[in-house]
Amino acid sequence: MRNPMGLLPEKQEISSYIIQSQEEEIKRIALELHEGVGQSLYSMFTGLQFIEAGVEQPHLKSYIKEMSQIMEKTIQEIRLLSVELHPPTLTTLGLLPAIKSYVKLYTSTFGIEVDIKSIGEERSINESSSIAIFRVCQEALSNIAKYADISIVKMTFIWSEQSLQINIQDYGRGFEINEIQSFGIAAMKERMFLTGGDCVVSSKIGEGTSIEISLPLKVEEEQRGVNIDQNSAS
Amino acid sequence: MEELKECLIAVQTCSEVLEVMEADFVGLAIQNEVGPDVRWHCAAGNITDKYKRITVRYGKGIAGRVISSGSPMMITSFPENILGKSTDYPIMLAEKLVSSFAVPLFFNGIPKGVLLVGHRNGIHKFSDEEQQHIKKYALLLEEAIKSHIHL
Repeated sequence: MRNPMGLLPEKQEISSYIIQSQEEEIKRIALELHEGVGQSLYSMFTGLQFIEAGVEQPHLKSYIKEMSQIMEKTIQEIRLLSVELHPPTLTTLGLLPAIKSYVKLYTSTFGIEVDIKSIGEERSINESSSIAIFRVCQEALSNIAKYADISIVKMTFIWSEQSLQINIQDYGRGFEINEIQSFGIAAMKERMFLTGGDCVVSSKIGEGTSIEISLPLKVEEEQRGVNIDQNSAS
Repeated sequence: MEELKECLIAVQTCSEVLEVMEADFVGLAIQNEVGPDVRWHCAAGNITDKYKRITVRYGKGIAGRVISSGSPMMITSFPENILGKSTDYPIMLAEKLVSSFAVPLFFNGIPKGVLLVGHRNGIHKFSDEEQQHIKKYALLLEEAIKSHIHL
């Protein structure tokens, strides 16, 4: 079976491997920034505060204070960069809280409000699928900020035993799907395909765009069951 | 900091710049009193109210970069020939601007604000004369709103 990008099975595996490696590398850098660089800078920050308290010359004291303020700002930047690269809430609290947290940042960045609705009981999703959905939603929202020319987006999560359906709807400018070649949309479809899900984009000029993301949850549970079996066997 | 939209002179100056410079958008951003974030406080010629919700980090976006560097910044044909991605310039996307010139506003010698003048139609390279004009308005604004800025 060919995937949405028309790739042959071996190319699909390569594509899956590239996406997975990229995500692992992003996560590694995010962790290294947070746990490594961030912690070292924090040690330097407390050291500077200690020096500042001990120094008596006013000009040196104010210089050290300035340096420690810059250090504090840098630590904050490192933390934010780390969270932007790989949101820790995705693994700790789950997909919906991670999306809600990202949406807050999105609204304060682009001034576009996102109305999120969640219907049904939220279910746990494995990490790779959560990341795939999160990245697809990020790409969709980013495209809306770039092209849709609207102030409000609607996002609906529908949870059932069998599946998770997400609809991202904007009533903006819209576009002619057959007339554009978007690698962003192709990558969204590819990511969902690789998780066993689907991503369908429909749009009409002047009426807006709708993105339907779906993930079968039964497969998820079965996969998890296989993993548990494999782990207990090893 | 008091709300600058209530500072009549800031709003009037933005409208005057819009008219005199024959621009499509004029915005005034100020760094928050607490924390390094920068927010757009008032605007003229805006097509949406998105600017009211936009907050950029120190060093990010046009406003954040102008404040962190203390130097003017010009974009002539957005989104072409820009540093980084188009999403790094939220005010250009929100107001559908193609070109802009932004200058820093100094308070007690520290860059704390930004005056941005933008155009929506076609490539526009701000001439030296236009740049000087905008800088003069920035000086006027510094004087007019300095009592609202607490350092």
